[in-house]
Amino acid sequence: MNNPYEVLGVSPSATDEEIKKAYRNLAKKYHPDNYADSPLADVAEQKMKEVNEAYDEINRMRQKGKGTGSTSGSGSYSGGYSGGYSKFNSVRIYIQRNMINEAEQVLESTEAAERNAEWYFLKGMCAYRRGWSDQARQFFQTAHNMDPGNAEYQTAVNNMNNQRTYNYGGYNTGGESDFGGMGCSCCDICATMMCINCLCNCCRG
Amino acid sequence: MFGYLQVDKAELKVREYEAYKSVYCGLCRQMGRDYSFLSRLALSYDCTYYAMLLLSLTRGCSGFDDGRCRFNPFKSCKFARCEGDCYSKAAALSVISVYYKIQDDIRDGSFFKRFSVRLIQPFFSHWRKKAARRYPQIDEIVAEMLRAQFAVEEETDPCTDAAAHPTAQMLAKVFAADAGDETDKRVFYEFGYHLGRWVYLIDAADDYLKDKKRNSFNPFFGVEKEELFSYMEGILNQSLARAFDAYCLMDIKDFKGILDNMILLGFPLKQNSVLSRLREEMNEQSV
Repeated sequence: MNNPYEVLGVSPSATDEEIKKAYRNLAKKYHPDNYADSPLADVAEQKMKEVNEAYDEINRMRQKGKGTGSTSGSGSYSGGYSGGYSKFNSVRIYIQRNMINEAEQVLESTEAAERNAEWYFLKGMCAYRRGWSDQARQFFQTAHNMDPGNAEYQTAVNNMNNQRTYNYGGYNTGGESDFGGMGCSCCDICATMMCINCLCNCCRG
Repeated sequence: MFGYLQVDKAELKVREYEAYKSVYCGLCRQMGRDYSFLSRLALSYDCTYYAMLLLSLTRGCSGFDDGRCRFNPFKSCKFARCEGDCYSKAAALSVISVYYKIQDDIRDGSFFKRFSVRLIQPFFSHWRKKAARRYPQIDEIVAEMLRAQFAVEEETDPCTDAAAHPTAQMLAKVFAADAGDETDKRVFYEFGYHLGRWVYLIDAADDYLKDKKRNSFNPFFGVEKEELFSYMEGILNQSLARAFDAYCLMDIKDFKGILDNMILLGFPLKQNSVLSRLREEMNEQSV
């Protein structure tokens, strides 16, 4: 493993408080919620793991006894999706493996009558992975309209809306000495909503 | 489509601003060395951003030299020294992209514009050949972008995503070419994609009225006037948000303050100024 202090970006002489702060900032930055549905989710997860390990390692080295480092976030996230009953199972697996062309082929060959809310949701996932965010938003919205009760579609729509109203630090820079907190400055209510939704729903394509 | 990737100067530290300027000047000097005195006119903020990113990722900047500006000998300026080929690559990208921009203007510019770009075309075609010899990949990527762009504009009513795709993909590929391992490649690709998308869309928003007057292609023409601004804002925000997510996964080493400033403050600032100007102009028209 790399030097744990380097991973956290602090000097070895940093106080426990500074280390904790650095850890918190990084954990916030790489939090799985920021990368829900993103093609880079696994990269963020890996970084999160490194940060967790580094923090644990430092705690161990400093003989604080208990390494309180590992957050629940990274653990629960890696589980991936658990449903086994879906018609579009193969599509979900393709998407998870970043094989978007294959996923779209299966979706395209689906007959019009069978194109349900999930079909639109998965179309949205494919578009999103390709970077076609605007189409993704429309597909997610359609899926949500067809099945308003589904938490998975709701989360996706919320995620889109969060990104579209993304408020950078640009208009509330006062105080913060660095840009640490800005990544998450979009409305906290929505973020909380998303967290709740994520808890209800461990399915992720 | 140049000059959108700027800093928010008011929020930079003075030493960061000096460093930013010195990279700009350093790149300008490199263009003089690699191509010619005149090619320096092709220098843009966008390529400065690319140079800065490369310098940061490769730890390529080894110090600063004092010197004088070639265009204004009374002005003294600093040059950021660069080890490796960060500057050369950015310089090549500058002349290559200006060359293809000229091709684009010849195709659908106004009469006067066509006339004027034809005058400078021979110079750029010479420099572009030189650049392409050294960096054939960059030339290929940009050429491919233009071909794809023409093809999309021929389609009837392409969606915004499709219209933005060629430019997005171009920047994605250019960035991905500089990545070390497979994971980095994916992160750089994603970052470049959404940044390129943002650049294309902000340029389209900027040219909205001009394109309307000249009857040329603009991806926002399909959007209803009432929801035009919320649509533009939403799609631009989302591009930046996704670029920022990828940016967080990049291993930014030097100039972090400046690069953070750009993506968090500089680009949104530019976006705001473009959109508010467009809004003003449209209000004037409707009165």
